[in-house]
Amino acid sequence: MNESACPFESDVLLAALQSRPLADLDPALRAHIRLCPACSGLATVTAAFDAARQQALSTTILPPASLVWRRARLRARHEDAQAAGRPITAVQVLAFATAMGLLGACFGATSATFQRVLRRAVSFFASSDLGAWLSSAAAHCPEPSLLLWAFLALALLLPAAILLALTAD
Amino acid sequence: MSRDTTFDGLADGEPALAASRDLVMDEDAFCGFYTRHARPLWAFLVHVTGDRQLADDLLQETFYRFLRAAAPYENEAHRRHSLFRIAANLARDAHRRSAVRRFITFARPAPESLAGADPGPAAERAADLARALKSLKPRERAMLWLAYAEGASHHEIAAALGLRPSSLKALLFRARRKLASLLAGASDRGVS
Repeated sequence: MNESACPFESDVLLAALQSRPLADLDPALRAHIRLCPACSGLATVTAAFDAARQQALSTTILPPASLVWRRARLRARHEDAQAAGRPITAVQVLAFATAMGLLGACFGATSATFQRVLRRAVSFFASSDLGAWLSSAAAHCPEPSLLLWAFLALALLLPAAILLALTAD
Repeated sequence: MSRDTTFDGLADGEPALAASRDLVMDEDAFCGFYTRHARPLWAFLVHVTGDRQLADDLLQETFYRFLRAAAPYENEAHRRHSLFRIAANLARDAHRRSAVRRFITFARPAPESLAGADPGPAAERAADLARALKSLKPRERAMLWLAYAEGASHHEIAAALGLRPSSLKALLFRARRKLASLLAGASDRGVS
């Protein structure tokens, strides 16, 4: 397949970009276009684009420039205000997390009930056989491979769902 | 950004609109620039995306990003190329998001119609082109529009679409050949 341009392509393209119809072209070029597949295709494509562009330019109703400008300014101000507030928000979140951590540590250190429950949970997990538990759970499932597919589907769909939910339309 | 956005954010009595520090143009310069380039840009967007409403939204977004860009522009042509580059990137991102969404939700693409209210042979030719373009990839549509509707050079198209100039010629030729055969098929169906 010869993909090199025909030497007359630039003439055909120039005529098309000037919106000159075929009838106005040099007779030799017109004859060439009829015979050359590359130039014939180019003439077809450029005529179609020219018609589409003219039609779009003549029928389109766009918002006025002043409206676009005002929207842009509003949005720029809004985004700048959000950006200015981000460090403050980050500090607030960090302070809240630190306070909750300290509160939790104080509660854990002073509550006898909490410490008793924690000791029982640790001893339960230390003594239990996780493999036996999984085998028991799988035995109750009629089709164990379904369990695996369910986990895989959850692992794939959950991030995708979160991504879709967070993506702005 | 929707056309239905109201403007209650600007208080009454606010000083006359002056150039924002964060926008690269003042209002007068922007209005002139918008007047010269908005229509061709919208035509580009609508033919690359195949969706008039999406093109409306992307038009607003393109001008906003252009105004916020910190890049220094040498001249009008440079600004225009930058505008089309931003628009091409936005159209590509929109296409990717819709493809992911369709994959996840098993949705079929919505029927796209570029038909305006204006009947006639010009509208029919435009509709034929729109139908043919739907069979091409968005990058091919963008290449073809920039080359044959906007008259951009290969270097400009490559810069706008993030392609190597050396590979653009072959890509463009193949896309054009594909489109020509689609248009010829549409013409034959119309004749028959």
